[in-house]
Amino acid sequence: MSFLLSCPNCGSRSVNDFRYGGEVTARPSPGDSEEKWSAYFYVRKNAAGLQREWWYHKYGCRRWFQAERNTLNNRVSGTFWPGEGPAESSEGDA
Amino acid sequence: MANRRLPPHPSQIIDRSKPISFDYEGKRVSGYEGDTVASAMYASGIDVFGRSFKYHRPRGLLCVSGRCPNCMMNVDGTPNVRACACAAAGAERVTGQNAWPSVENDALSALQHFDRLMPVGFYYKTLVRPKAAWHLAEPVIRRVAGLGRVDPSRVPETEYEHVNAYADVAVVGGGPAGMSAALAAAGAGARVALIDEGPSLGGHLRYETLPHTVPGALMRFGERARGGGEDDYAALGYQMAKYLGDLVEGSGGIRGYTGASAMALYQDNMITVHQGSRIVKLRADKVVVATGAQESPPVFPNNDLPGIMLSSGALRLTNLYGVSPGSRGVIFTNCDDGLRAAAQLLNAGVSAHIVVDSRMRHTRPFAEDFRERNVTLLQGWKVVKAEGGKRLKSVLLESTREGAQRSVDCDFLCLAPNPEPVTALLSQADAKLTYDEVLGAMTPTRLPDSVYAAGDVTGFQDVEVHLLQGRIAGLKAAEASGAGSGEDALEDLASQLALVESVHRGELSSSPFRSTVGKRFGRTKRFVCLCEDVTEKDVRQAIDEGFGDVQSLKRYSTVSMGPCQGKMCHKSYTNLISEATGQGLESVGGTTPRPPFHPTPLGAIAGPGHMPFRMTPIHHAHVRAGGKMAEVGQWKRPHSYGDPIDEIKAVRNGVGIIDVSTLGKLDVVGKDAPTLLDRVYTHYFSNLRVGRIRYGVICSDSGIIMDDGTVTRLAEDHYYVTTGTGNIDLVEEWFRWWVVGTGMCAHVANVTPGFGAVNVAGPKARETLQKITDVDLSRDKFRYMGSARGEVAGVPALFLRVGFVGEAGWELHFPAEYGEHVWESIMEAGEEFGISPFGVEAQRVLRLEKKHLIPGQDTDVMSNPLESDLEWAVKFEKEDFIGREALRQVSERGYRNRMVGFVMENGGVPEDGTPVLEHGWPVGKVTSSRFSPSIGKGFGLAWVPERLAAEGQLIEIRVPGGVGWARVRHEPVYDPKGVHLRE
Repeated sequence: MSFLLSCPNCGSRSVNDFRYGGEVTARPSPGDSEEKWSAYFYVRKNAAGLQREWWYHKYGCRRWFQAERNTLNNRVSGTFWPGEGPAESSEGDA
Repeated sequence: MANRRLPPHPSQIIDRSKPISFDYEGKRVSGYEGDTVASAMYASGIDVFGRSFKYHRPRGLLCVSGRCPNCMMNVDGTPNVRACACAAAGAERVTGQNAWPSVENDALSALQHFDRLMPVGFYYKTLVRPKAAWHLAEPVIRRVAGLGRVDPSRVPETEYEHVNAYADVAVVGGGPAGMSAALAAAGAGARVALIDEGPSLGGHLRYETLPHTVPGALMRFGERARGGGEDDYAALGYQMAKYLGDLVEGSGGIRGYTGASAMALYQDNMITVHQGSRIVKLRADKVVVATGAQESPPVFPNNDLPGIMLSSGALRLTNLYGVSPGSRGVIFTNCDDGLRAAAQLLNAGVSAHIVVDSRMRHTRPFAEDFRERNVTLLQGWKVVKAEGGKRLKSVLLESTREGAQRSVDCDFLCLAPNPEPVTALLSQADAKLTYDEVLGAMTPTRLPDSVYAAGDVTGFQDVEVHLLQGRIAGLKAAEASGAGSGEDALEDLASQLALVESVHRGELSSSPFRSTVGKRFGRTKRFVCLCEDVTEKDVRQAIDEGFGDVQSLKRYSTVSMGPCQGKMCHKSYTNLISEATGQGLESVGGTTPRPPFHPTPLGAIAGPGHMPFRMTPIHHAHVRAGGKMAEVGQWKRPHSYGDPIDEIKAVRNGVGIIDVSTLGKLDVVGKDAPTLLDRVYTHYFSNLRVGRIRYGVICSDSGIIMDDGTVTRLAEDHYYVTTGTGNIDLVEEWFRWWVVGTGMCAHVANVTPGFGAVNVAGPKARETLQKITDVDLSRDKFRYMGSARGEVAGVPALFLRVGFVGEAGWELHFPAEYGEHVWESIMEAGEEFGISPFGVEAQRVLRLEKKHLIPGQDTDVMSNPLESDLEWAVKFEKEDFIGREALRQVSERGYRNRMVGFVMENGGVPEDGTPVLEHGWPVGKVTSSRFSPSIGKGFGLAWVPERLAAEGQLIEIRVPGGVGWARVRHEPVYDPKGVHLRE
């Protein structure tokens, strides 16, 4: 991996500066069904294509943000603070 | 032996006033400073440099550029060194490879007569049945076929390193195009990196002694060009190399990497550069690829004989090292560059008597030149066969029109086929390559946004074109990188380039060059792949057997899979496929050019073997006290200072001190800090009183223990959190993760390196510390799990009364700068009580006697706090916390396993990690076990199935030499009621 990732705080940096935090998922609320919780614990979409995901700027500002990345070619189309950026295409999660 | 040195010439880089010499298989070879191992050997008359992989045929110098496999030797213990790219100065002992008894006389060359036993696809066809046959044959094959041998006992002295570098514009290739691009980009204000394989800049110009046209618009250098534009100048190649090289050196904005190869071009323009003992990870905003072109040998019978050389190799020998390729030569070409090469060899005094040009086109200036020198120029002829033993003796020529043949005596044959653009990096960057009929090469026709191409790699072989292409690419790249723009009008340059390109295209013959020869000459071998000894016959047979696709042909026949990675054969085998299958070269395609471009030592890729470690602020005091330092995560910690048992006794009976600076320390501040901690810990922290301490467990959302530690409430909105050694980064990330996007006002700061910490524990801890602090440590004033701020030995400190080791004691956290002062002061104060420092081993036993688990040691990725005997720390009353739902599911389904304490009844002390057995089957495991000085028995912690978890249950544990029996014990073996702790 050698791609660049743009931290919303620090700007463009080598991917080696970051820690990957996995795909963005929605945490169920207390009282939600066991199925929903189990899916949240264990089931990932593992998208082949665009994916909204978490990144942590470990060797930088130490802040978490989200990126939209194409998992097929590692092209990052954008990085955002949580709740910002284009509407997540993965609404079906929750 | 013959001396092949030529008279001195200013283009040569050898220094005849500085002789050098080295040993080659028992003989002394002498040369001059500036020579390579190969040039010195060739100069002294050595023809055979290696033996081929399979057939052990003699091989001589071919490319003289470190690309082909022919001259790989062992130089001072390092195998597979390209002798033609290894400086002779400094070499001491050179030996041949893959030959017995010697490269010159290799008995194994008889193998070439048994080629029928080694058909293409040998590995898939031969020795398949019976199965044992392969295992018997393999060691023999491995010995007979191969490359240099690695001496496992040899310890390399090289100190490898990795370096990061950045550039606005990186230019790969320091020939005319690359230097022109670098100068233009730097002139426009960009920070430029220029990478070149050669020992100095210039590329092919370095060994060229004919003039090139220099567009006057670029630089006024050299003499006015004859017949050029009004402003055009002409300069001799090697002079231009020096001139441009000096400009590059004098330019402030260019960082040059010479003797360096760009191994790969990765995503977002990460170029890995191998330079000697160093790998440079160069990140560039824009890249100009000016990697040039390379020749590869055409295919004809005996095309691998020593004495047959590529024209660029012959020119290097001649013009850089002053070594003649032979005494009577033939030059075979199909392009103007070959005629230029011939003219230069003749200029240098090399005796060649025939120039063979497969084209019919009339090339006047060269023809006249050759006639004046009495050299025959045969147009429309080809070389169809070579003859010789350990060196070329003659070649057979054939007219392409009437088929007439003539045999010509010669001792060298110089091959100058239309060179092939070196597009490996462009392919990696996902450029589109298209076959250009006029240029006769695969050329880049679509480039990614941030990549530019200039020079021979574009298929044009004209330096005037290259200089213009380079200038344009450099300016465009600089501008696109945002680093600046030049004064040149890009449109003017572009139209000038279009003009010279079209002139050049018009001049080019459109007769395409076929590297293969249709005729067969008995069983004489025609080599396609020199590395793996794959012949034309093998390739044709493989295609006949159905492996006509480049990828499958490669895997089946091993063509292109040797050390040169297809550099010498790619053109030939793609041409063969095209010819045999009728596909165009574009649809034939090519194999994937994977990194690294050149063979690279594994040591360079691995980098320095440095493992950085962290030292606590008290480190040197431990070393002085005789501490046996051990690696614990990133840290060095004292394992013990002598005898751990004595240290345990000191803590239990007097006072002990341990450095716990390695604990992770987090400062959590903000009005929502209580909310955050209630969320990430299973326990409550919002109801913790200011000044009090509570133990807490952090779980993942699936209920698995991640870390544990203490949390001290310093103020309503301020907590001080400790984490396990080595877990701090994880916990810090975790806290931040659960804050981000929630709008919570909670700030998390990692203060681990800012604070030193010691734990002073034992019945005499109070008396010891009270001597050097005003904080009232008395039993009633300073209770267990309480905290206070105060001074110790004059240093501001936070006092935490916790009890990991099970005795009354204080953890003191203080500014790291005072580490040794605090340590020494406490040691001094405790002297009268027999204070002893204790190490990690003693602490492990002490905590185990108190049944305190260590996450990661006693728990794994399946362990939840409920089954880990930490139910008391899990507060289901809270509406939510991380891991609540998963733990609720565990508590509903019931426990399956449980962590229990055990005491051995017999059998001694089991080792950590040994199985717990039931009817002889492993059903659980011991996670920690030691000998307990308090009860005089082996004891520990183990995971057992729920059915074996009851108090007093007998469990069977594997011990060294057999099995032992232990009894489950839920209470700690030491001070179960915590009396000492609260003392």
